[in-house]
Amino acid sequence: METTLTSGRIRVRPRTRANIVLHVTLIVLVLLTIYGLATLDTRNINIFTAFGDMLNNFRIVLFEARLKNLSWLELFRELMITVALGLITTVLGAIIAFFVALFAAQNLAPRRVTDAVKAVMAFIRAVPTVLWVLFFAVTAGLGSIAAVVGMTFHSISYLVKAYAETFEELDEGVLEALRASGANWWQTIFQAVVPSSASALLSWTFVRFEINFSVAIAMGATAGAGGIGFDMFMASAFYLDLRELGIFTYAVLIFAILLEWGATRLKETVGVKRQA
Amino acid sequence: MSLLEVDAVTKRYGPETLALDSVTFSVQPGEFVAIIGPSGAGKSTLLRCINRLIDITAGDIRFAGVSVPTLRGSALRRHRIQIGMIFQHYNLVNRLSVLENVLHGRLGYKNTLQGILGLYSEEEKREAVRILETLGLSEQMYKRCDQLSGGQKQRVGIARALVQQPKMLLCDEPIASLDPSSAKVIMDTLQEINRSTGITVLVNLHQVDVALHYAKRIIGMNRGRIVYDGAPHNLSSDQIYHIYGSEAGELILDLKERYAA
Repeated sequence: METTLTSGRIRVRPRTRANIVLHVTLIVLVLLTIYGLATLDTRNINIFTAFGDMLNNFRIVLFEARLKNLSWLELFRELMITVALGLITTVLGAIIAFFVALFAAQNLAPRRVTDAVKAVMAFIRAVPTVLWVLFFAVTAGLGSIAAVVGMTFHSISYLVKAYAETFEELDEGVLEALRASGANWWQTIFQAVVPSSASALLSWTFVRFEINFSVAIAMGATAGAGGIGFDMFMASAFYLDLRELGIFTYAVLIFAILLEWGATRLKETVGVKRQA
Repeated sequence: MSLLEVDAVTKRYGPETLALDSVTFSVQPGEFVAIIGPSGAGKSTLLRCINRLIDITAGDIRFAGVSVPTLRGSALRRHRIQIGMIFQHYNLVNRLSVLENVLHGRLGYKNTLQGILGLYSEEEKREAVRILETLGLSEQMYKRCDQLSGGQKQRVGIARALVQQPKMLLCDEPIASLDPSSAKVIMDTLQEINRSTGITVLVNLHQVDVALHYAKRIIGMNRGRIVYDGAPHNLSSDQIYHIYGSEAGELILDLKERYAA
């Protein structure tokens, strides 16, 4: 085997096919980037002025934020609409996904069933949430109903994958022990599978809630589902009011931090609840 | 009448692997039988065929007069209720309390809804607590199982099997993951259960000396066949050599001499 180069130095990394492909890909990407930047149509915009303007806009958004078209109470109400949209799609999705996931886990259902369920879920997951919302908007009309159905649909496919993989990591011996004592399938699920995987299921559900919260903001604008996303869209695209946009940004940011904090607290509580 | 009759049972995994090769033996009520043999001899498979965690390929198993291989649904559950099983890795639900794990042994008696919600009668709870007391676990009753030592976990496993009110206990390498003193406690417990309640015990063991010490009858297996079936005192060094094959022979003979001394 060739271990030394012609210069006599020892090669550390083997020259495999995968390594060569990786290097070639990186070089091509670098060349494309250089070409792209060199031939960019700047429309006579001075990059330094433009950069300065951008920073100035950031400054206005972040440091001169104030409300104009909405009152504080209305702002809170709009934020809660977005939260509600994220919450209802997560809860509905979680409940349905739990039962579907039981038939997607290889240690709980026959192989043929799990393969079919997983294939359908992979298909649903491959299509972005926004497209599902627009798809359901054909029948439900653009608005909150299409947003709820479409977001729930995508949440189900995401959570089924996460839940099923959690179930598959369970200790097979525990399931065997319950079967051996005469327990039936549903009893095994609720007496062994659920208690063993509860905290993992909860943390996946929270991950999805965070996703759904941000999707709900986007849906407010694109699907007309209302909430703070719609107000942000109006403030930025219609009123060109960067200062109000700043308030909305802060509101979303603060709520996202609260959400993260609450999720951590809840997970800790569930994790140690039974240790007393 | 025999409690358990295993008649020419064969188990194949795919076309290549023969896990059990026409195994035949019967067990009388109240017996304490140890099955010994090297890893891969088919000991675990044999135990799992008896309570139908594994389906057999050919032959027949009769337990308390009922033919096991054709049982389905609730009849299979009724069969499994009568047989408690104890595992090498205890197989407890770690996040639940000791008492909840013990009560899992009653699930076979419950309907689906009662089982899902964990609704047990006061009588069942009293019985579970009584068994935990006799096994010296009354102080651990509300602890989570992942807080217990290996020996304690195995006693919880035994309690879960006993609360089924079984006719027979199947023990799959019950002491293989335990230190010597915990192992002794577990084997003494199994012996005590066998003596005082008359529950039949069928135990897979790796340790020949332990098997010789506790069992009234030894079944030696090698490559899916029974190569010895009889009393421990009739088991000669040559036969142990035969059960374990040439490689392990000398080590086993060592143990045998120490046991004899």
